[in-house]
Amino acid sequence: MKKRILALAAAAVVLAAFAGAADVTLDVKEHVLANGMKILMIPKPGVPRVVCHIYFKVGSINERPGITGSAHVHEHLMFKGTEVMGVTDYAAESKIDARIDELMGQIYRERFWKAGGDAAKIAAWQKEVDELVKAQKAYIIKDDLWTQYMKNGGTGLNASTSQETTGYYVTLPSNKVELQMLMESDRMMNARFREFYSEKDVIMEERRLSENRPGYFFGEQVQAAFYTASPYHWDVIGWMDDLRKMTKEDLVAFHNTYYVPNNAVAIYVGDFDPEATTAMAEKYFSRIPKGPDLEPIRTGVPAQYCEKRFYGEGPAPTSLQMMFHTPPDGDPDSQALSVLASTLGSGGGGFRGGMGGGGGTGRLYKSLVRDKQLAVNASASSRAQWYVGAFQFSATPRVDKGVKPEDLEKEIWAEIDKIKKDGLTEEELQKAKNRSEAMFIRSLGSSAGLASRVGRAELMRGWRSILTDLDDLKRITNDDIKRVAAKYFVKDNSLAAIYTRKMGR
Amino acid sequence: MKRTIIAILALTFLCAGLGLAQAKHPTELKYSALKYEPPDPRAFRVTYAGGLRAYVQEDRDLPLFNITAIVDCGDLYVPKDKTGLGSVLGDQLIKGGTTTREGAAIEERIDFLGGSLSFMVGERTSTLSLSVLAKDLDEGLAIFFDVLRNPAFREEPLMLAKARFVEQLRQANDQPGTVLSREYEKLLYGENALTRQPTKAAYEGVSASDLKAFHAKYFSPRNIILAVSGDFAKAALKTKIDKLAAGWKGGTVSFPALPKSFPAPEPGVYFVQKAINQGYISLGHLGLEDTNPDYFAVQVMNFILGGGSFTSRITTKVRSDEGLSYNQGSRFAYRWGLPGTFAGYVQTKSSTVGYAISLILAEFDRIRKEPVTEAEMETAINYYLESFADTFQSSQSTMMSFANLEMTGKPMDYYKTYRSKIQAVTKARVQEVAAEYIQPDKIVMMIVGDWEPCDKGGDKWAGPLERLGKVHRIALTDPMTGVEIK
Repeated sequence: MKKRILALAAAAVVLAAFAGAADVTLDVKEHVLANGMKILMIPKPGVPRVVCHIYFKVGSINERPGITGSAHVHEHLMFKGTEVMGVTDYAAESKIDARIDELMGQIYRERFWKAGGDAAKIAAWQKEVDELVKAQKAYIIKDDLWTQYMKNGGTGLNASTSQETTGYYVTLPSNKVELQMLMESDRMMNARFREFYSEKDVIMEERRLSENRPGYFFGEQVQAAFYTASPYHWDVIGWMDDLRKMTKEDLVAFHNTYYVPNNAVAIYVGDFDPEATTAMAEKYFSRIPKGPDLEPIRTGVPAQYCEKRFYGEGPAPTSLQMMFHTPPDGDPDSQALSVLASTLGSGGGGFRGGMGGGGGTGRLYKSLVRDKQLAVNASASSRAQWYVGAFQFSATPRVDKGVKPEDLEKEIWAEIDKIKKDGLTEEELQKAKNRSEAMFIRSLGSSAGLASRVGRAELMRGWRSILTDLDDLKRITNDDIKRVAAKYFVKDNSLAAIYTRKMGR
Repeated sequence: MKRTIIAILALTFLCAGLGLAQAKHPTELKYSALKYEPPDPRAFRVTYAGGLRAYVQEDRDLPLFNITAIVDCGDLYVPKDKTGLGSVLGDQLIKGGTTTREGAAIEERIDFLGGSLSFMVGERTSTLSLSVLAKDLDEGLAIFFDVLRNPAFREEPLMLAKARFVEQLRQANDQPGTVLSREYEKLLYGENALTRQPTKAAYEGVSASDLKAFHAKYFSPRNIILAVSGDFAKAALKTKIDKLAAGWKGGTVSFPALPKSFPAPEPGVYFVQKAINQGYISLGHLGLEDTNPDYFAVQVMNFILGGGSFTSRITTKVRSDEGLSYNQGSRFAYRWGLPGTFAGYVQTKSSTVGYAISLILAEFDRIRKEPVTEAEMETAINYYLESFADTFQSSQSTMMSFANLEMTGKPMDYYKTYRSKIQAVTKARVQEVAAEYIQPDKIVMMIVGDWEPCDKGGDKWAGPLERLGKVHRIALTDPMTGVEIK
């Protein structure tokens, strides 16, 4: 097995693929290290900057009840140093850190495992922890990795966790890519989760920021109701209870399982020499030992065999959402559903339209907003994720005219029935295809956007899926459209969420 | 020029990548030299028919065409009795159609081509932007100039837009962050064109003839600068644009006076009630203009104080040490021709509102009174120097930057001299500008949150909030009527 990977790597073939009539090339150079880590490179000569991203095939779907939010907490902790970064004397500091963990373990047991924990004991342990934290501070170099990146001209510095992937980002001057390889490989191997407990407080504040967005709680419940069984059930941020009770041990286990080179892709886009970059990647990322193979997610989406309806009220605008389960990314039906979303709810200006959106040229806008004047906005979107898919209609009623979400629901069903019967017009089909092609070409212009799209695609179906999906989309016929509409837009596969603004909050 | 740099780079990489041993710590890394000179705006400056100015770059990487018209026109020029006209114009320049094209037909056609056409009205500049595939350049450009020159502001789309804007007013007090920034600016700038909010009656009062008059007044070729990039030949493009701009005259534009004097709000706490579980906080006062010679020193100072994310003092103290917040820092915001604002900001759970504010105030005080460290200076200055080339990553945004320089009257060697001005900032200058532009005796603290738990405080900082200064309770206005909510 190992030998075969090596042979492939040695070939390091330059692979190019062509997309569409415009003959635009997406040229991705690939290199696979012996430990399974993939290095992708898209050279773009010009301004001497390089977008450097690393993606791990891990996100909130890899969690289970009790540790929800841990993929994201872990991402935060990856900035808290290693054995060489963020610390002046690792030997001395690690002893203090271990003692803090021990005491916090006692506090958690007393507080969370017992019905009436001993408050005096907790206070005494906490006092000791506070003193140790102070002592530890003497050895900590605050946000060392972040500072190193910034003083070397790092921009776009960030990390993010989604349901399926976790990414670490920086854009550096072309002569400093080695800094990224050194620090990223170091934290893959030697991450030490210092300041774990105060960082959890930060993340609880992050969750509160979401909670204070009007309509957030309702959205969280709708998602949980829509995905009853699969791990898409919870939000990436996790439930507050789990955040409160999460331990450092949970996260060390998480790190050791998922932050292995065979579960990672590094991608570079910008002004660099691929050969030198490959050599550098060999030097730094090859030193990380390969981990065990990882099992895909087990639980899919069971058939509903019933319609779900969800009602709520609160401080956000009155609205309607209709959701339908659709197949995951890569299914032959995905592209027809994309075309449908684009046609029903596409934008008439600006880039925000994407596949979906609520602008002036979508069928829903024309019918519900412009002609019948029943809605403030109306849109559709199709999202195929790795293990699940969802097609969603969203609309806001004209409250000033007494329109109710239920009225819009009837209207949308009428539009759906038209599609089931007649499909789309030739022009609508062509428009969706033109838009997809143009969007693809435009996506090649943004280095960071390209890194994100190619890097993430590589983790699941390979980066070439970006090109084959586009080809598949161009082959969609009206029969495909009618077929997928009939197959997925049925009540027993749906959830309707009706939200009403309650004034006075 | 470009080619030689690449060749040198490739060579140095080869040496760096293959020659050196694996480093254990960033301090062991040695980097090859990297010299970068920014492009010179003069090389891209073009004048088209009618005195229409432009910054134009051929970029053959992708078969795309991008053009943006930056118009010296914005919300600040809208007369008091026409408040709301700016937002409606932003929506209707395209949707309202032209004398020969329906708005819906324009949107439909652009969408069919896989292009995009959008218009935005800002404070003093508005932008019309088109992006199409290069094969559609002629058609796209014709539509672009038609929209720019001949908008018709048809009645039907206008009625629809007004209804939508009125509906959106219902949301004006929904988001705590929106309420905070609006009320903070109202407090610092007082009631004038900068802070005026449209009401239902204001939107309903905007007419097609108002829009036409406003457009006629400001959309004149000498009041517009274009930014253009993409897959075309410069000379051929000139012929096309000259033809489309031919006969476009427009009179001399006169601008209304900008607000000049601002109230001095009483220092202290200003509290807006909202039943949420955090306090959203901004504390500070008016700032400076970015044409001020102290601008560069202020940038470096603020990077160290709270602008340099995790390397900055406020983030280290409030987030990293204390775990009080996810988002915090300080910022100097700038406006063209007017003083901007200065603010420390944080969102934290109700019980730690007072504590977080006290920590930020302490950092304001420290940077005024003590010199910053050598290490802090090194990080801040190197950040600006080493990340400089980022500004020029895309041809279109580079052309936009140049057009904006000219529009706002900044020197055309702004980018050429940028790094030396950053480099000239010293520790002493940082402390001087901190003392001058952070004024503790003028600080207002705006909080949007739930009064009782915020006022009560917690273990590390017990309330009442009055400990921070006199407390003013602010009543929000009903966005529909503009009348205070009792």
